Amino acid sequence: MARIGRAIVRVPKRISKGQVFKIQMVITHPMETGRRKDKKTGQPIPAHYIDLVEFFFNDQKITTLRTGPAISKNPYFAVKMKATESGTLIIRYKDNKGGKWEKSVKVSVS
Amino acid sequence: MISRRELLKFAAVGTIALTLVPGTLGEALAAPKDMSLEEALKEHLGATLSDLKESDLIHIKAPTIAESGANVPVQISANVPVDQVEALYIFADANFNPWVTTVEFSPLNGEVFFATRIKLAKTSKVRAVLKMKDGTLLAAAKEVKVTVGGCG
Repeated sequence: MARIGRAIVRVPKRISKGQVFKIQMVITHPMETGRRKDKKTGQPIPAHYIDLVEFFFNDQKITTLRTGPAISKNPYFAVKMKATESGTLIIRYKDNKGGKWEKSVKVSVS
Repeated sequence: MISRRELLKFAAVGTIALTLVPGTLGEALAAPKDMSLEEALKEHLGATLSDLKESDLIHIKAPTIAESGANVPVQISANVPVDQVEALYIFADANFNPWVTTVEFSPLNGEVFFATRIKLAKTSKVRAVLKMKDGTLLAAAKEVKVTVGGCG
């Protein structure tokens, strides 16, 4: 999994002012629970999962997700947001092994 | 080219590292303790099951029967103003650690809404708990039948 931490974020193309729209994202991540064993070696596979996802819009925090290993592999998250103005949506997320990533998306409100 | 001396040095370091690792790693990897729903509620909400107020304002959208416990779509929405809500907690009763996720809202969200995909160890209830700003805990639950568990 060389691409751990890659994310795809999707927002609607056309958003009108005052509309509540959906932000969807998928992160490439194994989300290991720490309970599985390697089938060949019998060694336990260490826990490795996303534990924090933060959504910012124009530097204001919208939502914080605290997540654990019970979220499925390649996690999918969807939250909603009310459109007030155009701007940049920044999503910052990290995992329990020190991985840190950021993804930004332009949001245009008309 | 690697000289013979260097190669030996690498080999020696490698052996030492290998013998040291199991001790420290073993401790760090000690299987996480199983937790009951009550324990998880106490840890995350400081509450017991009887503190949760059943509410039909919360809607949980999840399959009644899930083919695989590794990937169960769950969508939660609530008919309450988002500025009165502090956070949403999701629990899965029968998981090793029933706590799944915590979602902290802000008025910018516009609506109380969250969707994700979760792992379920076996057939159990999926619980959504809304922590309101006044301290009330609203809750709803939905039973999901799982044919194949998803927690290794």
